[in-house]
This record gives sequence, C-alpha cells and structure tokens, in this order.
Amino acid sequence: MTDSVIPQLIRKDLRLHRLQMVVSFGAGVLALAVMQRGGEVSLVLGSTWYFVAIIVLACLLPISMVQNERKKQTLAFVMSLPVSYIQYTTAKMVSTVLMFLAPWLMLLICALTLITTRNTLPHGAIPMILIMALLPVVGFSLILAAALVSESEGWAIAATVICNSTYGIAWYLITKTPSLTANWTGHVAIWDQAVLRLLSAEVGLVALMIGLTFLLQSRKRDFI
Amino acid sequence: MNDLAIELTGICKKYRYFSLDKISLKLPQGEIMGLIGANGAGKSTTIRILMGLIHQDDGEARVLGYPMPAEQVAAKRDIGFASEDMRLYDSMTLGWHTSFIQSIYPNWDAAYAQVLLKRFGLRADQKIKGLSHGQRVKSTLLLVLARKPKLLVLDEPTTGLDPVARHEILRELANVMADEGRSILFSSHNTQDVEQISDRITFIDRGRIIDSMDKELYLDRWRRLRLEVPSGVHLPALPGVIDVRQQGRLAVATANAFVPGLANAYETSGARVQCIENMTLEEIFVANVEHSREEVEA
Repeated sequence: MTDSVIPQLIRKDLRLHRLQMVVSFGAGVLALAVMQRGGEVSLVLGSTWYFVAIIVLACLLPISMVQNERKKQTLAFVMSLPVSYIQYTTAKMVSTVLMFLAPWLMLLICALTLITTRNTLPHGAIPMILIMALLPVVGFSLILAAALVSESEGWAIAATVICNSTYGIAWYLITKTPSLTANWTGHVAIWDQAVLRLLSAEVGLVALMIGLTFLLQSRKRDFI
Repeated sequence: MNDLAIELTGICKKYRYFSLDKISLKLPQGEIMGLIGANGAGKSTTIRILMGLIHQDDGEARVLGYPMPAEQVAAKRDIGFASEDMRLYDSMTLGWHTSFIQSIYPNWDAAYAQVLLKRFGLRADQKIKGLSHGQRVKSTLLLVLARKPKLLVLDEPTTGLDPVARHEILRELANVMADEGRSILFSSHNTQDVEQISDRITFIDRGRIIDSMDKELYLDRWRRLRLEVPSGVHLPALPGVIDVRQQGRLAVATANAFVPGLANAYETSGARVQCIENMTLEEIFVANVEHSREEVEA
C-alpha cells in the first residue's frame, strides 16, 4: 500500500469536476476568438468574456469542490479513508488549484499568443495583461482559503462577493496609475520596477493565503 | 499485539450545550459491541473521536492499538467506517466508487464485492443519485465490507431502512463475524437491531456511559417483578432493585441484579409475587436511562 492516498484523492476530484474546467476553458477560447476578430467592440466584448470565464471559475471551483463536499455529506466518506485532515487539505488544495490553473494558464497562453502573433493589442500591454490576469488568482486563493478554513458557505460567499467587487476597483486603480500605464501602448513589453513589484505582491498574496490555510487547518481539532 | 480493538479511557469533550464525560469503554477483538443511546446521547461524538475526526479534550483513545487521533491514517487502513450521515458521490456510479476504494485498499476483495452486489440487488453501472435510501446504505456497506477491515465502525447504519433492507444488512454483518478476527462497533437507537447481532451492549446517555456488559448478562440480570402488596405491608428496599412503582395494592419492581432470593425477600416482607418477567433490551435500556438520570439529579 502506498503511504499516502493524496494522489487518489486528487485524481478523484479531477474526475468529478472536469466538466467545469472544460466548460470554462471553452468559454475562454470563445472569448479569445471574438477578441481576435479585430475592432474595438470585439476587443471589449472578448476581453470581458475572457475575464468573466476566469472569475466564474475562480468562484465556482472552491464552492463546488470544497463546500459541496461538506454540504452533500461526502466529506465523511472521504475522511473515513486512511487520510489525515492535513492530507485532505493538501489533496483538496492541489486538485482545486490544478483545476483552476490549468484553464487559466492555457487561456493566458492563448491570449499572449494572440497578442504576439496577430497584434490584437500592442506588446506593451503584456505586463498589464499579466497583472490583471493574476488578480483572479489572488481572488481564487482567498475564496479557496475561506471555503477550507471557515467550513461555512456564508464565509465562502462573503469572500466571493468581496473578490468580485474588488476586481473592478483594482483594475480601475491599475489603469489610473501612470507608472503602470506609461508603456502599455508601446510596441515592446517593459518590465520595470512598478510592474515587477505589483506582480510580486500578487504572487506573495497567493503564497500567504496558501500558507495561512495550512497553518489554520493544522490547528483545527474538529473536522466533521 | 493489543487484543483490544477499541480502548477509550476517560474521554472528555466539551461543547457549549453538550459534553462527553469521562467515556471509557473496551471492545475486545472478535466481538460485536452495540452502542445504544437516545438521539443526542453522544454516540456519534464518541465514534468520531475514535475515528480521529474529532480531537478529545482529555483522555486516551486507542483503536487497533493505534493512539487516536495521532495515528489515524494507519488505524483507518484497517477500519471500515460507515455512518448514517455519510453520502457517496451522486453523479458517479457504484462501479466508479468501487474502483476508487480498490485503488486505496490492496486487500479489496473483488470476488466478495461481486457477491455483495448480487446479494444486495445492486447494479455497478447505476449512478448513486438514482438509488433509494436502502440501496445507498447497502452500497456504502459494500464499499466498507469488501475492503476486509479488521474493525467495522457503523454509526446508525440501519436508520431509515425498511424491515427487509435492515434484515439483509444485519444478516450480512452476522456473516462478516464468521471471520473471528473481526470486530464491530455498532451504534443505534434501535435496540432490536443491536440485540440481534451484538455480544456486548453499552448504554450511553447525556454524554456518559451508564452501563456496559455482555448482552446475555443484561438479559439474565434484569427482571420485572409484579407484586401484590396487602394493606399495611411496606416493601423493603432490596439490593439489586433499582425502581419500585406502586399503585394501590399492585407494585412493579425492576431489578438490575436479579437473584431468586429477591422474590423470597418480597414474600417474606408480606407481599405476594404474582410473576417474574424477562425484560427486552429496549425495556432494560429505558429503565437504565431513567435510573441513571434519577441518580444524577438526586
């Protein structure tokens, strides 16, 4: 017998929720197809759909993969297996992150490919696209942490509402920051200090959220 | 090797409106213990502690020799746990569930799983959401039994089942015990189910173990004596009699340590013993709970 059942739990989650991943990826590809038609309307429409697809996935996955396990009482089934709560958290974290990052990464690569090969947007916009695309990853980490740690649908929904209302504000602030927007219409992507600091802050927030989740989960005494 | 499948010593767990108070119980390997208690008595909390799902505030829990919750992963490799509030994945088939469990337990007995599938009238290709409650319980039990666990922990497995399904499940549990190394902890508020299959009975009420002993010993020790009490005769307080209720000339005495000498003692006091009745496990449980509550409140 293998020492840990984490791989089996991850495979189980991937199998159970693969439809969500495929649908959101399909929606993202559709959005990119609209974007690459050219013209301002297609660009606005396509980029909106693109981010909506990612944001919906960021909200839906933690709810369906973590909250529903508790709500539909399948958590007792999983916890009856030879698994500790930290192992369960690890498996859940890995599978949910994989399910989110796979379509997110593929869509990001598709978007960057479109920009670089078809000149849908100036190359100077690439850093900004990355900054904006990372925001839903931060939001996803917060919702996932809230769902896992709080064990409450209410807190997970609250985290979702906070994230969704923050995206607009954050994007607005970013587009109004001269040090970030100075080069976005240029023909070359400029990776200056302001861009790198913001990207590092986003990655740092994701790491902090994951670390905090493991810390709080390891201190729990009651799991069901 | 430890010859106890379960050993709980002084387990305490405090919640805002409920607490487990120094729970101690022992289940020797190869035996079936029925854990009987009313709703909210503490059965599920006790079981969750011994499964490592809840950490006790105080006391020691050992399951198959492993301290819980510290070594729950190792312990759960040899435990088959099913509870009334446990659900399988609705959108998947029973076949998918068996493959999933098989990938985790190398002892999975595919031939036995097939036998159970047939015996329980289940179909591997049917999705869980299309199954009745009874079929879902049987599916869960199939997944638990075919992994050949050393210890079965079943928390109210027969709740909500029709008589036929209950009978099928109890019969299968009895079959499981043909393997003498197996142990079962079976919780229920249905005393009939517990009485059918258990070797030992433990009563739990309001977070306390109020009694625990061999089933036959319970049935042997507990008796109800119907007495006729002539006017002027006062029934004596006798050891082993926990309750006496008198209405006019008739009285009913409940004994938890019956010996033939009790009847003689009442006769000597001037009362007439009309009959001595055996008690069902349910009657013993109710009398035990009432007696325990009176003692606590006194």
